[in-house]
Amino acid sequence: MWKNIYDQTEANWNDAIQESLKQESFSKGMGETLNHYLQYQELTKETTESYLKQVNIPTRGELADVASLVINLEGKLDDLDDKFDEELSKLDATKEISQLRKSVSNLEKKLDKVLEALEVIGKEKPVGTVKEEKKV
Amino acid sequence: MNAFNRRNKMGYSNVKDVEKWMETMPADVKVGFERIKRMTDVLTNEPEPEVGQTPKEVIWTKNKAKLYRYQPAIKKTNSVPILMIYALINKPYILDLTPGNSLIEHLTNQGHDVYLLDWGTAGYEDRYMKLDDYILDYIPRAVKKVLQTSEAKEISLLGYCMGGTMTSIFAALHPELPIRNLVFMTSPFDFSDAGLYTNWLDKRYFNLNKLVDTLGMIPHNMIDYGNKLLNPIANFYGPYVSLADRADNEEFVNNWKLMQKWLNDGIPFPGEAYRQWIGEFYQENKLINDELYVRGQKVELSKITANLLNIAGKHDVIASPNQVEPLNAKVSSKDKTFHLTDTGHVSVVVGRRAINHTYPLIDKWLAEHSTD
Repeated sequence: MWKNIYDQTEANWNDAIQESLKQESFSKGMGETLNHYLQYQELTKETTESYLKQVNIPTRGELADVASLVINLEGKLDDLDDKFDEELSKLDATKEISQLRKSVSNLEKKLDKVLEALEVIGKEKPVGTVKEEKKV
Repeated sequence: MNAFNRRNKMGYSNVKDVEKWMETMPADVKVGFERIKRMTDVLTNEPEPEVGQTPKEVIWTKNKAKLYRYQPAIKKTNSVPILMIYALINKPYILDLTPGNSLIEHLTNQGHDVYLLDWGTAGYEDRYMKLDDYILDYIPRAVKKVLQTSEAKEISLLGYCMGGTMTSIFAALHPELPIRNLVFMTSPFDFSDAGLYTNWLDKRYFNLNKLVDTLGMIPHNMIDYGNKLLNPIANFYGPYVSLADRADNEEFVNNWKLMQKWLNDGIPFPGEAYRQWIGEFYQENKLINDELYVRGQKVELSKITANLLNIAGKHDVIASPNQVEPLNAKVSSKDKTFHLTDTGHVSVVVGRRAINHTYPLIDKWLAEHSTD
């Protein structure tokens, strides 16, 4: 039962709330609230930072600066890693191509030898002789 | 505490007395008592549920960002890998919430090679990070790593919410990259009418520069408060009313816990990126009007030629369909689809409708658009 009451209340109130959320005065009021909050935050930040400096304790900004140095260093490592990858892939491709060239030229040489050998055999022995040899 | 335990051992406690008393009550009163008891347990005692359980490996990191590859052991039948790019708001485990309710798990089980770029939790040292840095320094490197790891020639990119907006900028700036498919889920592109946000972020009242200069990092609570204010009663009280009403439904309680964990597990937004996001998008609507410059380069959405699946949620009040759809008219893609689902901003990716509709839709579309 109470769920029904909630559902009905929400349905009734929702339109009225949505209407007021759309009003320019609401945006203006929200902006003013934000400004007050930011003024308070700024004051707190300045007070805290000046106190921390007096007692020689690093501020949040100073600690973040150290973290930034580490991040920048990591960024450089990442760039190096990327370049290394690129060069390595280039090297690999060149190596593969030269290996392929070698094996193709070796194959060509072997084929030439086979052709030469076949020509020699063809000239030296007539076809009939070859058949007789096979039968033996 | 010890006294309480001793009393329990002796078989006497107020709770037991109340329970005995409840046994004499009518059935509906008993059910109501059980629900309140369960709700109290959920809100006070029970541990947070586990999320992001799909097996994954980290293949690249930069600053706080991590690039994950999911279920590397499963055979990949789709040769075009998918890189998911998440927003700078909230954590990306909404894409892998829990087994059986996870877009990532579903896609990997269907043979897709899924990667996720998780931005991590930005610290105060990241307050000067701009959208330019994320779009031009992180995403291109992640794309390269994905292509290397999967040994693929082409890639599909999937952006959720603001991650989709960032992805569209990236794709527009890199027409030379082999981006075959683009999937966007509830990503805003046109900010001419962003609903209540347009009123609240009005330049005359919303002191954006003062906010960023003062805070450096924009706290999650501030962004979350703005989102909840879109529908205050339903967002602030609704979840507790629903829990009280359905606390005896185990499946509902589990899903409720998962959603509440995600909603309250926000991350701060780097100040400079926030200044751009609110200023250049919400206040000046530069992207859709070809007026946006990223690190000096003009962003023209018409340079996008990849196949496009652009999904919007009918009930989405964070990125309403009228903010999502205009992308389709801008891009030069020959194959482009705008799809309106019967969901909201989050239910597009988790929950029953997502499981039954969004997951098969994305899987089927990607499979069809990944073969020659």
